[in-house]
Amino acid sequence: MLDIKNLHVAVGGKEILKGLTLKVEAGQVHAIMGPNGSGKSTLSYVLAGRAGYEITEGSISYNGEDLGALPPEARAAKGVFLAMQYPVEIPGVTTMMFLKSALNAQRRSRGEPEMDAIGILKTVRKKAAALNVTEEMLKRALNVGFSGGEKKRLEILQMALFEPKLAILDETDSGLDIDALRLVAEGVNSLRAPERAMLVITHYQRLLDYIVPDRIHVLAKGRIVAEGGKELALELEAKGYEQIVKDAA
Amino acid sequence: MTAALALPTRRVEEWKYSDLARALGDAGFGEASAHVAIGAIPAGVEVFDLDEPDRPGWVSAHYGELGGNAVSAVSLAKARGGIALRVPKGKIVEDVLSLVFSGEGHVRALLVLEEGAALTLSEEFDGHQTRNAGFEIALGPNARLDHVRLSPASDAVQVEEISLTLARDAVYRGHFANFGAKLSRTELAIALGGEGAEAHLSGVSVLSDRHADVTTQLTHAVGRTQSTQLFKKVVSGKAQGVYQGKVIVAHGANGSDSRQTAKALLLDSRAEADLKPELEIFADDVKCAHGAAVGDLDADSLFYLRARGIPEQEARHLLIHAFLEDALTDIANTDLREAVRGAVSAALNQVSA
Repeated sequence: MLDIKNLHVAVGGKEILKGLTLKVEAGQVHAIMGPNGSGKSTLSYVLAGRAGYEITEGSISYNGEDLGALPPEARAAKGVFLAMQYPVEIPGVTTMMFLKSALNAQRRSRGEPEMDAIGILKTVRKKAAALNVTEEMLKRALNVGFSGGEKKRLEILQMALFEPKLAILDETDSGLDIDALRLVAEGVNSLRAPERAMLVITHYQRLLDYIVPDRIHVLAKGRIVAEGGKELALELEAKGYEQIVKDAA
Repeated sequence: MTAALALPTRRVEEWKYSDLARALGDAGFGEASAHVAIGAIPAGVEVFDLDEPDRPGWVSAHYGELGGNAVSAVSLAKARGGIALRVPKGKIVEDVLSLVFSGEGHVRALLVLEEGAALTLSEEFDGHQTRNAGFEIALGPNARLDHVRLSPASDAVQVEEISLTLARDAVYRGHFANFGAKLSRTELAIALGGEGAEAHLSGVSVLSDRHADVTTQLTHAVGRTQSTQLFKKVVSGKAQGVYQGKVIVAHGANGSDSRQTAKALLLDSRAEADLKPELEIFADDVKCAHGAAVGDLDADSLFYLRARGIPEQEARHLLIHAFLEDALTDIANTDLREAVRGAVSAALNQVSA
């Protein structure tokens, strides 16, 4: 589904990713772990299509298509979803209105009929309840005044609503206490499906106790330096990034 | 034209951003009189045609008395006709009263709300002709006026000076939606003249290639008075959006509370926004805050919306609507608020965001 080959990405003229190669198949959950500054967020942004992240070499193929050539909205409509580390607060747009605009924009782009307000409301309510996203949150301006946990829960609610094929979770565990983490992880696990691939980006092993990956890749200095099964997370936790990076060198 | 009736030039500080003489050309405002019409007259509202002789006491007591500036003096001297309206003591008018300004030249209007009276006023315009309107509003004790002024885009010169006085505990809520003209100037001179008086001003401008200037002078003449101002502008193309707001807290007006905010979104490198909030405080123990900001759409917000599948143009429009939203929610009357929203949406569709 996702096939990244020798990817080089520069931000503001500075190369951050330096030849990253990664393959994720449908139905799999892969984790990307790495120290601060290794290029984790750059990878998530370049996959989602953020302006200013320039692919200087290599390629990202998504279901056989050149993902790098598409604007962010086209990627979303084709099933790419990035749960962001820092969801943006937008005063003046209610959460519900945003969800409706986004869902229908994606449907329009795919040539599917738009859903009416009542249909969307019903769908959102059902999925929101499982993630403890309250009716009151849906009425508030998007992410405005939301706690860290509420913002992350809303990201996962969007994932549940949009039903992406490739979900990228960028440091979804950051700023969450253990209860919030468990709730978010349950939300993510319930979305694991044979047709869906997930890329879980995290600094800490903790999240992977709850979302158990099929494969772990260690990112350092813009490259994958180590790969392994879920046990690699424990090794990382025991040895630290520095040692793993050294061992790999 | 006598010296006393000369129009201001750009050398006058208050007219620095609006070159009236140039926009008008040699013809000036001319000598003609424009018109003001009222829709259905709600029960309880008294109407007097200013063209008629024998002005009643309530007209002569207020007409030509309130504040005013050089341009207002011109309309006062030249306008024939116009309209005066009175809502008598204690009368709460339920229906919206609509005033429609049309035609070319000078025109005057007067609105008096007596003690405890309440009214919702919709002010509308035929935007196609050069016009200089002078509007005086007097609010008696405890009177309440909700005022929504919606001026459509125009290629003419459109100037209006609104002079407003508030007696004790009177509350004025004014919204000014403006879509620009060859030169558009809306000038508000407001005097909070009695304790407990409140004036709440808000406004939105959506401009593409046109000019709109909102200039306010708000005086807290006595203490325990409150004012808020929130003006938002979306400026694109070669448009120019101006906000000049001066708040004066007079000597002894202790316990005054004033807030003033003006923000502009500049969507084009050729667009211009001039925001100038000012404070002159001669009293102690006052709460005053003011701020102004000019910027572009937030890149993080734009990316977030697009990453969720919302196409760029739609995302930009969504963010522009969001930017204007808090200024629109100040309109209390639902129908008028929706009318302004509709006009804003239509104008935004013309804006190349």
